[in-house]
Amino acid sequence: MPIKVIIPTILRPLTNQQKHIHIDGFKVSEVIDRMEQQYPGIKAKLVSEGNAHRFINIYVNDNDIRFQEGLATSLQEGDVMTILPAVAGG
Amino acid sequence: MNHSLQNCVITGPWENPASNFSAAIFSLFYQTSTIGMKIKDAHDGIDESGFSFVLETPVTTPVVCEVTAWDQASESNNVASENIIQAACGLMSVHGRASGKIQSLGLNYVSTLTAALALQGATAAALGQLRGLPHADVRISMVSAALLSVSQYLADATVNTTDENLPAAAKNRIPAPPFISSDDVVFELETLNAEPWLKFWTRLGISATLAGKGWTAFLLRYAKAIAPLPDELFHALTHVTYQDIAALCSQTGLSICPVQTMSDRVTDEQLKCEWLNGPWAFELTTAATASFRNNNNHGLPLSGLTVIESCRRIQGPLAGHLLALLGAEVIRIEPPGGDPLRGMPPLSDGCSVRFDALNRFKTIREIDIKSAAGRAEVMELAKNADVFLHNWAPHKAAQLKLDAADLADVNPALVYAYAAGWSNDGDSSFRLNAIPGTDFMVQAHSGVAHKISQACGIRGGTLFTVLDLLGGVVAAQGITIALLNRYLNHTGGKVTSSLLSAATLLCSEDFQHQYHFFETNVPAVSRFNNIYATKQGMLAIECCDEAALQRLFQIIDDGQIDIMQRLDEILLTNSAQEWVKLFQQAGIPAAVVIEDLADLYDCPQLRPLLNRGSYTQVTSPWSFQ
Repeated sequence: MPIKVIIPTILRPLTNQQKHIHIDGFKVSEVIDRMEQQYPGIKAKLVSEGNAHRFINIYVNDNDIRFQEGLATSLQEGDVMTILPAVAGG
Repeated sequence: MNHSLQNCVITGPWENPASNFSAAIFSLFYQTSTIGMKIKDAHDGIDESGFSFVLETPVTTPVVCEVTAWDQASESNNVASENIIQAACGLMSVHGRASGKIQSLGLNYVSTLTAALALQGATAAALGQLRGLPHADVRISMVSAALLSVSQYLADATVNTTDENLPAAAKNRIPAPPFISSDDVVFELETLNAEPWLKFWTRLGISATLAGKGWTAFLLRYAKAIAPLPDELFHALTHVTYQDIAALCSQTGLSICPVQTMSDRVTDEQLKCEWLNGPWAFELTTAATASFRNNNNHGLPLSGLTVIESCRRIQGPLAGHLLALLGAEVIRIEPPGGDPLRGMPPLSDGCSVRFDALNRFKTIREIDIKSAAGRAEVMELAKNADVFLHNWAPHKAAQLKLDAADLADVNPALVYAYAAGWSNDGDSSFRLNAIPGTDFMVQAHSGVAHKISQACGIRGGTLFTVLDLLGGVVAAQGITIALLNRYLNHTGGKVTSSLLSAATLLCSEDFQHQYHFFETNVPAVSRFNNIYATKQGMLAIECCDEAALQRLFQIIDDGQIDIMQRLDEILLTNSAQEWVKLFQQAGIPAAVVIEDLADLYDCPQLRPLLNRGSYTQVTSPWSFQ
């Protein structure tokens, strides 16, 4: 089941400058693993010690996965996975 | 008190300040008093366009600092004041985002920033002289200080990309912190991690999905000055007392701070002591030997000096940025892989423009400061540096064995600067050090939030990061003072400032009003100050004194009674631009209110202070001659 993944500018050097890619997967973790196969190095930017990296926000549609099931969050056909770097300042 | 510059003299128009500049002059008087400068009164040096003061040290030519409302290069003859500059430079716009209403901050914010930057500029010029430069004149304007304060928001508003935005559902909603309990206590919540946030709200019966939407909105505070939290979160708290909410915070790892009144704060003995001591705590020793290096690049006062910066977010990086604008070489230590905030949207040329706005002049060194090899690398850098600046959490410097004493072992002449959240003395037992010393928590605790709420008719402070920015300026100022002291008195050592000390500086007139400690007058409140809709655009008017108010009456007098009651209606007959022209001809401070920061570059009187690149950059607030 292909999921549309929106890639932030800072990670585009790893995706041949593609702004969005389509990756198969039924969970966020599966999508990330398959992304790693196609675009080596990207997983380390997204995952740290088994969780989404603190400075990376991953949304499924409009929902932050840390408030769902984390990397185990399920995906359905038509879902859009958005990766955004940290937005905090302060 | 910190008498770090007690052998210096400052001469300014303290006794008879024009009301447009009275807040800046008061703040300057207060700041110079707390570092022990001898204060002399000048009988001139002030007019409607600005004021000047003179800094003398035992061994330099007197430095004249000219402070104007508008930048001198813009050749603007317009009169201006605190709220006019807030309107014209976009501060009101940023402050108004959270409430949906453009309005003044209700603080003498630009005046305080201007005074701090002016004193820093004069101190830097004297330092430059000691290092072989001919600087005897420094210029700064209130607009340059104001633009500096919005530089990150301006970068965000002007970058030419729409690629990366937060989920749209989070926007266009007004509710924002602070929160209110069932027993009517107004308070702030803070956490830098999602987990405590999730635990806290789910314990209050909020779904994880809704808590997540709240988290996305909560994160927008620092970057966008908005926090459109779901109503359900506020509603959940209306059934719980403050005591129970505080207990829940304790259980879930969230931090809480009540919004305290200004009257509570001025009677707090500890804050009174901090006010008397001034924004900085200096721990300087006389064993150091400062080398008088020759200056040969840029001709700026700090060129040739090296600053090592290990800072995150806004306060510390802004301090480093200001030192870079004064000519220092700033080497910024970032963790391996770089500071994650480099990726904070929006980006241009692969770097966050908000990040770039404060870090574009720095050299980057990626060092794992927690490792033995990394620590050794930092020590080696510090050995040959003039300044070491950090804004680590309390205790971290000691844990890393990178505290002032550790670095003094390898470089006794080093100025070691700590830009803290709460504590001016770095006391690890200080109870507030247990909670994050972030802008909004310090606003709540210090009385700044309450002061803003009273002036603006809102529940709490501002989501415009006023304390991070002023805290950064104060940190850079403390470093410059310590560097001057090093050259004058052969000292090295530590200077600490904090967001709380910046907050106390911002409210120094409230303390003076209570204690009358310093021999100067508290600036008067403006006779008239408001924002109006017009036929086209919004208009800010501020009459600082009775004479200006009478001139306003004369202009709008249409022969009928109750003019002021009908002012709303009268001002709708012309555009804001037309009213400004009319009012300015009569010497009444007025400006078109900037509603969109992208419009700042189109203002001729601001353009000398802005550069248009991939985003609009704010240039140095100082010019030296």
